[in-house]
Amino acid sequence: MIFRKKVLILLIAVLAVLLIANAAPAATLAGFDDNEIRIGQWGPQTGPAAPWGSVARGSKLLFDVVNEEGGIYGRKIKYFIRDDMYNPAQTAAVVKELVERQGVFAFVGGVSAAGGLAVKDYLAQNKVIWVGPATSVKEYVFPVQPYLFSVYPLYEDEASVLTKYIVETLKLKKIGILYQNDSYGKNGFDGLKQRLDTYKMSLAAEIPVEPTEKDLASQILRLKSSGAEAVLMYVNPTTAVIALKTAANVGYKPQWVSSNTLSDYPLMHKISGGLWEGVITGNFGEIPDSKNPLMVKYKEAAKRLSPEERWGTFYSAGILFADPIVEALKKAGRNLSTEAVLKALNAIKDYQTIGPKISFTEKQHQGSDSVVIQKCGPNGSYIELQGWTANDLATWKK
Amino acid sequence: MPVGQLLVEGLAIGACYGLFATAVVIIYKTSEVVNFAQGEMAMFSSFVAFHILSVYRYPFWLAFLITMVFSILLGILIEYLFLRPAKHPTILGMIVITLGAEMFLVGLAGWKWGAEQKYFSLPLDPSVTYEPVKGMIINNWAIAVFAVTTCIMLFLYLFFKYSKLGVAMRATQQNKHAAKIMGIRTERVFSFAWGFSSLIGAIAGMFFASRATLDPAFMMEPFLRAFAAAVLGGLMSIPGVIIGGGLMGLIENFFGYYFPHWKPIVAFIVIILVLCLRPSGLFAKHFVKKV
Repeated sequence: MIFRKKVLILLIAVLAVLLIANAAPAATLAGFDDNEIRIGQWGPQTGPAAPWGSVARGSKLLFDVVNEEGGIYGRKIKYFIRDDMYNPAQTAAVVKELVERQGVFAFVGGVSAAGGLAVKDYLAQNKVIWVGPATSVKEYVFPVQPYLFSVYPLYEDEASVLTKYIVETLKLKKIGILYQNDSYGKNGFDGLKQRLDTYKMSLAAEIPVEPTEKDLASQILRLKSSGAEAVLMYVNPTTAVIALKTAANVGYKPQWVSSNTLSDYPLMHKISGGLWEGVITGNFGEIPDSKNPLMVKYKEAAKRLSPEERWGTFYSAGILFADPIVEALKKAGRNLSTEAVLKALNAIKDYQTIGPKISFTEKQHQGSDSVVIQKCGPNGSYIELQGWTANDLATWKK
Repeated sequence: MPVGQLLVEGLAIGACYGLFATAVVIIYKTSEVVNFAQGEMAMFSSFVAFHILSVYRYPFWLAFLITMVFSILLGILIEYLFLRPAKHPTILGMIVITLGAEMFLVGLAGWKWGAEQKYFSLPLDPSVTYEPVKGMIINNWAIAVFAVTTCIMLFLYLFFKYSKLGVAMRATQQNKHAAKIMGIRTERVFSFAWGFSSLIGAIAGMFFASRATLDPAFMMEPFLRAFAAAVLGGLMSIPGVIIGGGLMGLIENFFGYYFPHWKPIVAFIVIILVLCLRPSGLFAKHFVKKV
């Protein structure tokens, strides 16, 4: 009896603590004061997707540079990186912590579609601005979300642009696709189909693949039998390497073309044992050794402020994904508020730094539909084939 | 349909599944434990080979030998550190322990070598291929897999049939207590089984890594397929798992050629059907343990 009473008291105590903890209102902190503006980002710093963690660290470089130059109207940016290990449950936890404990004003970047989708509504409910998710997810901005602004081009748009390049510039008529059996791969497939329909061309072969598959022999043989001269890939790095190795083993040598997710050439060249040379990809940012003055400036800053980092595509992507929030904070003026920054973001038009031209309106939060086209040269070097190209078939602009 | 090429590719990857499944079976044959850390033990050994090759720049044969010794020690160590201390272990308890060992190894590899994919290659030029029959290209990787699998199978056949240790291993599996009474040091038998299984797993792991990339999670999927091949062939039969692996590779490749959407699951559907008809697998004798 006494034991039961004790258990009951303990339960009531636990419940009371939980209730008190829950009663703390979310987002009660303003997100800024006279000295600082708090900005956060989640991203995989450990775990299977850790190589993409450089995006969050790239954004840090931009904020460090801004702070070095005096901040924004005297306010320094206080930046928080949280490791979600590419696990949506962790993303939800770290975002809640940043909003409710640290009181962040806005989020930038954020690798992982699943992680982003897990926190999208929470951020909207708490009126926290989120700029430049580091993935292309249609659901982020269609229908338009008042607090969410996307910079990353849609895979559909990129695939359409790449297909146009294959048909009109490379003059290849038989095209196959190897795509991951999820929304990433299917969006790429849709873009390819959209473009081929305008040429009244049909696909030589469409091959879906599960991201974990380690044997792609039958898929590659199917592509080979179809006579595909070019193969578009919307897959992950490991699948791409297996595809290229298998193709080499069975004597199949098409022109491989791939999405921007595989545009880290030094990495792809290394892990494919040099087979990546000659592969054409899209890219959402300037090539790492671009002569763009801003790229040169950030590269120098990286050497000085983060010498341990590799200056690569995903690291610099962290800068371009975070760029619009800095621009909007500057435009919003001294009297900072969420509303003022939203207004400034919605007024951004043809804003270009180290990525494509970005424009937002109140009704349109997909910032760009442009990619550059590049080719992997010897030793993982970058060869630019075509500058910023927009998708003239982009349905969302019409 | 490139029948000849699908046959070569199906059999080659099937032999690889079969080789790795053999590693699973060796432990299962002695202790009836399915070792869920098998894939990660192979992964860890492959990383050691990678480390020796890329950091110390030793020639491949030397790196291979060191890795083989390491893999044996790793197997023995895991058995000694993780399984042996378990008091009154049940089979389920042992399986859960192997799951813990798996997570430990993934974490350790991630900490030491990072999550980024690594390039791992065998000293086989991928650009060299042979075409003995028109439309049937065989590459060096496939030849190496066939040769190594055949050698290991022959060795295992002779070992289990004629060597004292092999017979002791079979006796331990059949009745641990009776084997002990007969003077067999069953603990040593377990250690040997784990070491030997780890060695075969490491060889298979290197074959898988050279076909794809090397990262801490790269053996999870091949382990599942090898385990399925082992179940298909019969978890107690070594020739059975090799045939199971071959069947698995062929079914996947021929079916996957026409229906790529279904490739990842077709083999598992076949396995479910086989198990409904022959619960012990295709080549193992069904036995019931009497109380």
